[in-house]
Amino acid sequence: MREPVWEFLIVNYLFLGGLSAGLYFASALATWIQEDGRSAYPRIARWGALLAPWPVSLGSALLILDLGKPFRFWKIFFHFRWRSPMSIGSWLLLAFTFLSIAYLWAWLDQEERYSLQARIPEKLRTRIPARVQRWLDLDASAWRRNLAMVGFPIAVGVGIYTGVLLGAVQARPFWNTNLVAQMFLFSALSSGTAALVVARLLDREPVELKEMRFLYSMDITLIVLELFIVLPYLIHGELSSLAVKQALAQVLGGPFTIVFWMLFMGVGLLLPLTIELFEFKPVILGKGTFHIQPRWALTAGGLVLFGGYMLRYIFVFAGQATGFR
Amino acid sequence: MATKTLKSSKAIRRFAMVIDAKKCINCKACVVACKAENQVPLGVFRNWIDEEASGEYPNLRMSFDPEQCHHCADPSCVRVCPTGASWQRKDGIVLVNDDDCIGCKYCIIACPYNARYHNPETHTVGKCTFCSHRVDRGEVPACVETCPSKVRVFGDLHDPKSHLHQLLATRRYEVKNPQTGNGPQLYYLL
Repeated sequence: MREPVWEFLIVNYLFLGGLSAGLYFASALATWIQEDGRSAYPRIARWGALLAPWPVSLGSALLILDLGKPFRFWKIFFHFRWRSPMSIGSWLLLAFTFLSIAYLWAWLDQEERYSLQARIPEKLRTRIPARVQRWLDLDASAWRRNLAMVGFPIAVGVGIYTGVLLGAVQARPFWNTNLVAQMFLFSALSSGTAALVVARLLDREPVELKEMRFLYSMDITLIVLELFIVLPYLIHGELSSLAVKQALAQVLGGPFTIVFWMLFMGVGLLLPLTIELFEFKPVILGKGTFHIQPRWALTAGGLVLFGGYMLRYIFVFAGQATGFR
Repeated sequence: MATKTLKSSKAIRRFAMVIDAKKCINCKACVVACKAENQVPLGVFRNWIDEEASGEYPNLRMSFDPEQCHHCADPSCVRVCPTGASWQRKDGIVLVNDDDCIGCKYCIIACPYNARYHNPETHTVGKCTFCSHRVDRGEVPACVETCPSKVRVFGDLHDPKSHLHQLLATRRYEVKNPQTGNGPQLYYLL
């Protein structure tokens, strides 16, 4: 097999795109769940909204940089090829990026919006047409829930697309199974949730117990779902045709074995799951009181992010080394 | 009558190649001819020869398998291309439109035969064209013309009079990795 043609720029993009999708998803869920007529976890929702647009924008920039002809990237949007995952994914990324910016705008306070607008140079600001200005002056906070609703399928789409991009290639048996897309989706949503745990703990305002309950229960669910995908992926692959079995050898004795089992499964998946379960034990068992130990929670969040990155690293490189001979 | 048959067969041509690998002596004249004909940059190749040694001394066997784009019936490289730069002519030849290629390299990854490469000079993707410029003039690809041991036979699958058609009708052959579903059109004689 020849040298890989997709390298770290693609690994980084897959991670960042997934991270944004996860941030948006978790934030949208926090917005959508209501308590006494308002969002139940406003700080989480706001943090997610503030963070979501940036990783995906950086990731898309990396995608363009990876092209042999970066200045031709616009051609993707002028030749719609519905059978190409990359074509569909590019439209999804574009829609998601705009949506996440709109969502961020909606989560800014009126004052913050005004002060942001005040930073636009005078000359430009006076030229903003009145119709656009009316839009900018609207109280966007009322749209938060609607944007969250619209965002669910698109965020899930972006999260799953990173897996579909790899999975839809029949020439690479390591990718070409019907589990890779879900694996990447749950990993993406999990890393978004973990990023919110980290963000919320580093926030000046002390974290509330019910917020941590929300984030922990979501992250534990997602990690468990991810395990339910990764293990069948391995078992089913071992019981599959020769090409798939040979491809899986990459992580079962081959060059990626240690990275996969130690860094991804161990440090990136089981360790944070153990920490989170241990912290969450009082809630699960219904006895004792639920405390938050910020140090442990930060560690778990960081490890989940690390695991998400490792998963993408392993898949991009190991997958390209597999084939049909 | 004869011209009519020729015309109608011309309208639905389907180019393919038969490879009689047992005749291959690994002289690499096809590789050199392709490089010269198509001005392929240093370090990348449109065709190559897989060598495989097997057996135990003194019962040894060395086999040579000429390889290149298989100009598949349902090419995955064409399907995954986000701009349509990878495309297939009606006569089956798979080409890259250089002006539309953005260099995303998705097709390189999607090709089960590893037949595509990233051109280090143009930063787009390159591949075997079956020498379509020669074929359109009625000639055969450069690798076919140059092969001293006549390993390669190029022709129209739909033309019953072609040497290629006759070989496939009378000889046993295989295609490589048909399980990928690409429908490869390089026929290796057994």
